[in-house]
Amino acid sequence: MKVAYWPGCVSRGFTPELHGAMAKVAPALGIELIELNRANCSGCGVIAEHSQELADSLNARTFALAQKEIEQGADLMMNICSTCQGAQSECQERLDASAAYRAEVNKHLTPEGLEYAKGIVNKNFLWVLVEELGLEELGKLVKRPLTDLRVGPFYGCYIVRPTDRIGIDDEHPRDSYLELVIETLGGTVVDYAGAQKCCGFPISLMQPDTSFKMAGRHLGDAKDAEADCLVTPCPLCHLNLDMQQPVVSKAVGRDLQMPVLHLPQMVGLALGMSPKELGLSKHVVKPTSVIDWSTSVVGAVGALSAA
Amino acid sequence: MSSTETTNDGASTKVEGLQEFTLRLRRYDPESGKPAYYEEFTIELEPHRSVLDGILQAKNDEDGSIGIRCSCRAAICGSCGTRINDKPGLACHTHLDEALKRSKDGKITVEPLGNMPVIKDLIVDMDAVHWKKQARVTPWLLPSEPLPEREHIVPREAMVDVTQSMACIQCGACVSDCLSMEIDPLFVGPAALAKTYRFVGDPRDARHQQRLNDLAQDPHGLYACTHCFNCIEACPKGVAPMSQIMRLRRIASQDHHIVDRNNGERHEMAIVNSVKKYGTLNEANMIPDSYGGKLHPASARAMLASLPVITKALLRRKVTPKSALFHPKSPDQAQIKRIYREVGEREQRLEHNLYITQPDEDPAEIAAHEAHVAAAAAREAAAKPGVDQTGAGA
Amino acid sequence: MPAHDVLIIGAGLAGQRAALAAADAGASVAILSKVHPVRSHSVAAAGGINAAMNPADDWRSHAFDTVKGSDYLGDQDAIEVMCSEAPNEILHLEHIGVTFHRNETGHLDLRAFGGASMKRTAYVADITGQAILHVLYEQLMKYSDRVDRYEEWFNTSLIRGDDGRCVGCVARNIRTGEMQTFTAKTTILATGGVGQAFKPTTNGLICTGDGMSLAYRAGARLMDMEMIQYHPTTMTANGFLITEGARGEGAHLRNADGERFMVHSAPNKMELASRDVVSRAEQKEINEGRGTGPLKDSVLLDVTVVPKNRVLEALREIVNLGRDFAGIDITKEPIPVRPGQHYTMGGVKTDSDGESDIPGLYAAGEVACVSVHGGNRLGANSLLDTLIFGRRSGEHAAKVAASMPMPTVSDASLRDDEREIKSIIDRPRTGRRVSEIKEELGVSMNRYCAVFRDEEGMTKGHEIVKRLQEEAKTAYIDDQGTVFNQDVLGALELGFMLDCSEAIVKSALERKESRGAHSRTDYTERNDEDWLFHLTVEKDGADAGADAKLGQSPVTITQWQPMERTY
Repeated sequence: MKVAYWPGCVSRGFTPELHGAMAKVAPALGIELIELNRANCSGCGVIAEHSQELADSLNARTFALAQKEIEQGADLMMNICSTCQGAQSECQERLDASAAYRAEVNKHLTPEGLEYAKGIVNKNFLWVLVEELGLEELGKLVKRPLTDLRVGPFYGCYIVRPTDRIGIDDEHPRDSYLELVIETLGGTVVDYAGAQKCCGFPISLMQPDTSFKMAGRHLGDAKDAEADCLVTPCPLCHLNLDMQQPVVSKAVGRDLQMPVLHLPQMVGLALGMSPKELGLSKHVVKPTSVIDWSTSVVGAVGALSAA
Repeated sequence: MSSTETTNDGASTKVEGLQEFTLRLRRYDPESGKPAYYEEFTIELEPHRSVLDGILQAKNDEDGSIGIRCSCRAAICGSCGTRINDKPGLACHTHLDEALKRSKDGKITVEPLGNMPVIKDLIVDMDAVHWKKQARVTPWLLPSEPLPEREHIVPREAMVDVTQSMACIQCGACVSDCLSMEIDPLFVGPAALAKTYRFVGDPRDARHQQRLNDLAQDPHGLYACTHCFNCIEACPKGVAPMSQIMRLRRIASQDHHIVDRNNGERHEMAIVNSVKKYGTLNEANMIPDSYGGKLHPASARAMLASLPVITKALLRRKVTPKSALFHPKSPDQAQIKRIYREVGEREQRLEHNLYITQPDEDPAEIAAHEAHVAAAAAREAAAKPGVDQTGAGA
Repeated sequence: MPAHDVLIIGAGLAGQRAALAAADAGASVAILSKVHPVRSHSVAAAGGINAAMNPADDWRSHAFDTVKGSDYLGDQDAIEVMCSEAPNEILHLEHIGVTFHRNETGHLDLRAFGGASMKRTAYVADITGQAILHVLYEQLMKYSDRVDRYEEWFNTSLIRGDDGRCVGCVARNIRTGEMQTFTAKTTILATGGVGQAFKPTTNGLICTGDGMSLAYRAGARLMDMEMIQYHPTTMTANGFLITEGARGEGAHLRNADGERFMVHSAPNKMELASRDVVSRAEQKEINEGRGTGPLKDSVLLDVTVVPKNRVLEALREIVNLGRDFAGIDITKEPIPVRPGQHYTMGGVKTDSDGESDIPGLYAAGEVACVSVHGGNRLGANSLLDTLIFGRRSGEHAAKVAASMPMPTVSDASLRDDEREIKSIIDRPRTGRRVSEIKEELGVSMNRYCAVFRDEEGMTKGHEIVKRLQEEAKTAYIDDQGTVFNQDVLGALELGFMLDCSEAIVKSALERKESRGAHSRTDYTERNDEDWLFHLTVEKDGADAGADAKLGQSPVTITQWQPMERTY
């Protein structure tokens, strides 16, 4: 499988371990990444809030670049950021709805010979795992099952709502894919209240107290449900849940110590890769409860006894 | 559609296709002194009937003390807002079979709305939360005086546009699951902000600036929405409160140039400008830019507050000093700047409002529809020449 | 004890409009409603509101259409008041913020509606009632300092003073169970109709005839009670209303053979004849075996002939109703419909200032009978009725109140009502369930007092109502509590519905002709010679169990003599 790959901004900024992990994991899954180096920020919803036309034009540009790769043989466009998925889907909804509007937006792209044609397929890595690769195939590739690892899924808002735009239906229960993937990799899904709630990141600069209490509540709920770690397909959630966790802990007055994995990292661990090469050492909250650092065994105790 | 309880002349008919459902209702009797509990009722109805019909069957046949507000049964009066299997919505607007599909254990759980105090069973205190927040936003039109002699002359599209907010039935489903309000009970919330758009989007209202400034400066106002889409998902009437909130922000910052003390406008511009300059986000600049620039005292305070985070990030080699200081530019930066310029030069914002303009139809579908209409007209013409086909004239 | 110049019971369009008008006239006002005002059933009015706004139109044309629609039973002086004041009322609504649909020049757009000789229906998509109701409530919030709102208070009885004037009411705070006497110089009933006495009905569960019954019990006359409107397009699947706006926008009605059967009964107006005519035509198709569906109990409403973009813009709500409640995309396929109980033309007899037989007691909206609708109400005249006569009642009541002292009221009624409620709660579980009696009433009324009626059926209906009245005396409930005891309120509502049902059946049996919505198979023609008057119903004597007594009241004719009615 060959994908026109949009890594987003944060995976190459404050969460470089995500970008790195994706690069490691893709070949192991048989995914060839054609990186869209010239594409631009999705606007994370904020540019759309500022100017709809600007956001739609910027994302049409990214889509057009991806479509060039698709013409050259890529199967679809892939992203690794829930927020990109949501922001891009919103723009795509408008662009695809009206030929007249699309033509108006495309005028901004004409000087460089770019044009967005209706109907690009743009999927988050999570969707690619389930819908393109398939859970059965993924299961076959597991070398080190996450036995006894208790994982709390954390989706991020943009990838689960609104259901119509995100394409969640009976055939595509995309709001349960994280659970399916965790199980396929041999882990145990932890049921807790926060899985589809907001991490608080979007208001971390406007209402920091509210923002950090949001993150703190979900991390605390996961802890109460005895999760070993969370996993998220969204690097922005990761910023609030992991990078800000020391501040978050203070905001909720609770020592949280909850490791948060990026989705490709969790896949990589099950595929037998070392924590280090997946960038786990870069996390603010070190996933010591997930990883036995002396032996690099996942889900330490359970894995040992299973072996 | 074989199943109706009574035929038109009232004769009872044997209803076919009945199915048993188990409702698990959250009960709470404030006079009992006991905590809330769950009680199960088995009801029998056709699967396409509503959860409300199920509750009413239980209430009528088994236990008249079940408390739920309801009236129209057709998703217009807004009384029966509840949480059904963890999702907020109208009980009358949720089919039993759909609710069952979302259930984890084969039972349909119905609970009162969230974020509001419970009075009894499924009845919550809307006054204490929902209506108080409505009253907060000066929820009536403030037109300029003197009033015109006849109606205000306003664009057709503007009235269709605000009808989206006007379609709000005040059911409280969005308030129930607002994630900002869950943490910050003072947040004015999605319903009241959608109501605000009903005036700010209305060309007849003369106080757009004051309304927006008021809410932009409120720490629990316009910029306290965390953009979680829960209200869009919850709304049974397609009001899309969060979309209206985003439009309020756009109008506040772009049309009225309101710079708020919550850094809402600055944060917006920080992201917009970062992408303009680099093509991508430069996270390292987000804090200082959102707090008014590197030299702004608020910015220094914020940086200081996040020092432990920054130190840890540097320590873990998550962020290197180099990556924090030198953000790479997109090779196509000239293109991006040009798009910014072209969009900025428009006299009027170009927006595509999916509420006003319906999606393009499939050409094949249009052709089929036209053929259908033509055939119907031809049939009529053949049947009775001279009849007004629209039926509207006389 | 709360005391106000003007007390309004019911907070739908009529009640809220009355409250605002009374407050504007300087009165102290209380508005009391058993549901939050925006839950009132006015919210369900979909299609629009009539007014001769178009310069080419004339209010006299509107008035004539209304008179003709009423089958000449409407009082023409009142109709003239309503139609001539309509345009200014629309402009007032526009000025306070109703988001009326505009045409391409930015002026109010008008759509076609049944029984109207030209397009004169102003609208907000197909949520007109909701839009107006919510805008009035915005104003009510604005008037918070002048209008006291008692939301979720249930009215249990009206109080008459020694001089016979209405001096207030007793009500129960639903949330706490507390009973309270409300003293008022003037009282306005705005409690809506009694659709719940029928099953199915398009009306909400709250439409239980409270005000009609309370006024009747207090000694007021009811009028035109036999006139029950069956709306031509209610969804067969569940009885929900599909707005007449659909036919206004051009939708067709067809029978099982695909024929536009309206050609037989209304060759000119076709689907846009008045409602009684269309409902009868449909019922005839169904009765004669040309109905559709497995039970052949429906006809088809074909919206697919209306341009899709127009449907999605102007008929959004019924697109949703079709999709969500019947699984039908109405832009792609026709939807099965049939006539369904929709509106009570009759009600508390009032003059055109809304005043009833009882001094100080007013009624406006569906609870009232002015009579502007006579034998049949035109679509989009109900919203107008509520607003015009709501406003006039509010203004008149405020004026009267300004020149009189606050009455003194004893708490005798309060203690009676408290005892009554306690006795219901304490009833042994030996009789029938309240819900069971309500079910039987609804099914029976819908069987015997429907589109077509006859002596035999209505006699049966009357016997059933009398029996149910007896059974209701011992009917039991489950809820013993005070907080939100909806169960005990249900028992009281059952009593209201039974009062109204008796009035309906008795009047219907009496009127031996076919006029408007009252269509008898044993007296098939209109008979102006013998029956061109209103039937009234009042209580025969003061005690609780007194029978209903029928009377007559003349029809006011100003400029339009009765003639044959064709569409």
